[in-house]
Amino acid sequence: MASTFILAAAAPVIKGPLAYFVTPFFGIVLSIAVYLLGQWLFKISKGFFLFQPLFVGMVMGILALAILAKWLGMDTAAFYTQAYKPGGDIIFWFLNPATIAFAIPLYKRNDIVKKFWLEILLSLIVGVFIALSLIFLVAKGFGLSKVGLASMLPQAATTAIALPISTAIGGNAAVTAMACILNAVIIYALGNWLVKIFRLKSDPIGTGLGLGTSGHTIGSAFALELGTIEGSMGAIAVVIIGIVVDLVVPIFATLVGLR
Amino acid sequence: MATQGKHPQKTSNRAPILIQIGIYATILFISWLISEWGNKTFPKFPLPTPVVGLVLMYLALTLHIIKVEWVEDLGAFLISIIGFLFVPSGIQLAGTLNILENEGWKLIVVIIISTVILLVSVAYCTRFFIWLRVHVLHKDAQVDADTKDEG
Repeated sequence: MASTFILAAAAPVIKGPLAYFVTPFFGIVLSIAVYLLGQWLFKISKGFFLFQPLFVGMVMGILALAILAKWLGMDTAAFYTQAYKPGGDIIFWFLNPATIAFAIPLYKRNDIVKKFWLEILLSLIVGVFIALSLIFLVAKGFGLSKVGLASMLPQAATTAIALPISTAIGGNAAVTAMACILNAVIIYALGNWLVKIFRLKSDPIGTGLGLGTSGHTIGSAFALELGTIEGSMGAIAVVIIGIVVDLVVPIFATLVGLR
Repeated sequence: MATQGKHPQKTSNRAPILIQIGIYATILFISWLISEWGNKTFPKFPLPTPVVGLVLMYLALTLHIIKVEWVEDLGAFLISIIGFLFVPSGIQLAGTLNILENEGWKLIVVIIISTVILLVSVAYCTRFFIWLRVHVLHKDAQVDADTKDEG
């Protein structure tokens, strides 16, 4: 709605070079270009963790927008909204079918789900509660503002669930969105290393649940690369953690006096 | 269909891609209706469409309303490009760069630590509860490592 409004309002006024960018095709082409650049860099650097395609795509994309905005003599945020967002929204929409596709790896390992449902549920509830307490302490230790603190708490949930909760407990939704994306980038970039140093390999169920919680759908896709048990646990974590965060975080926020 | 008999081929029952798209679209539409209803009835607990869709898709598969071959190819494709699908969410930061000016680096450090905390606390909790299952409740914790590719 917001973007159509802006387009409708801005369309007659746009003159000069900006007019060439105000089409969804620009955002789509830019997204694909920066992501492919990331994949290429990842390949030729033989998997250097900072060249993880999503991370490269994000940094290069922002950089490209900032440079183009400067060239056009406008604010990066305004250029983002007018030129990139229409195309970006189209790609973003495909996260809907992609998210529900995670039911498939989950269904394929229904044997584990039926056998361990109690352990899975308890681990996610207790695990999130411990994680919330630690995150709260760390955030407090760094001296984050009240808004910053509240924005950090819902990040275990996938973006679509985390944002409304963040707003509800007095956080900033954009900061929470950034947290959810960085979670995924970090898991994709450092996942192998983290699995190694915390010796998680021996326990595929825990690894899958942990990766799905910390890295959301991307963490779950990463878990799928480790094996079908990890993958299905990652998928179940994404689903159940959303519900757990939905219920636990508002209570936790009240307990620690954030609202 | 024609492969009944000798060599059951893995590709035999796969639904055409347009049918697969149709199934995804239908599930998403129903999920959206439920989510709209839920958000009006319980405004305190957000009920996002993709989460409802995930549950519906899982139920439809588990209750054998749809077959996995009808949704598998499109699902595998979408999951394989999930990193790309998140590029716009990442670039979204370009619209809100001013947030980073105040407590930017602190936020980023806290987020990095939080990611590790989430991974490790959930993984170790699971290890503990599975240990409990084996050593206190004396139930087995055997898992089948390979995928069951039932045709």
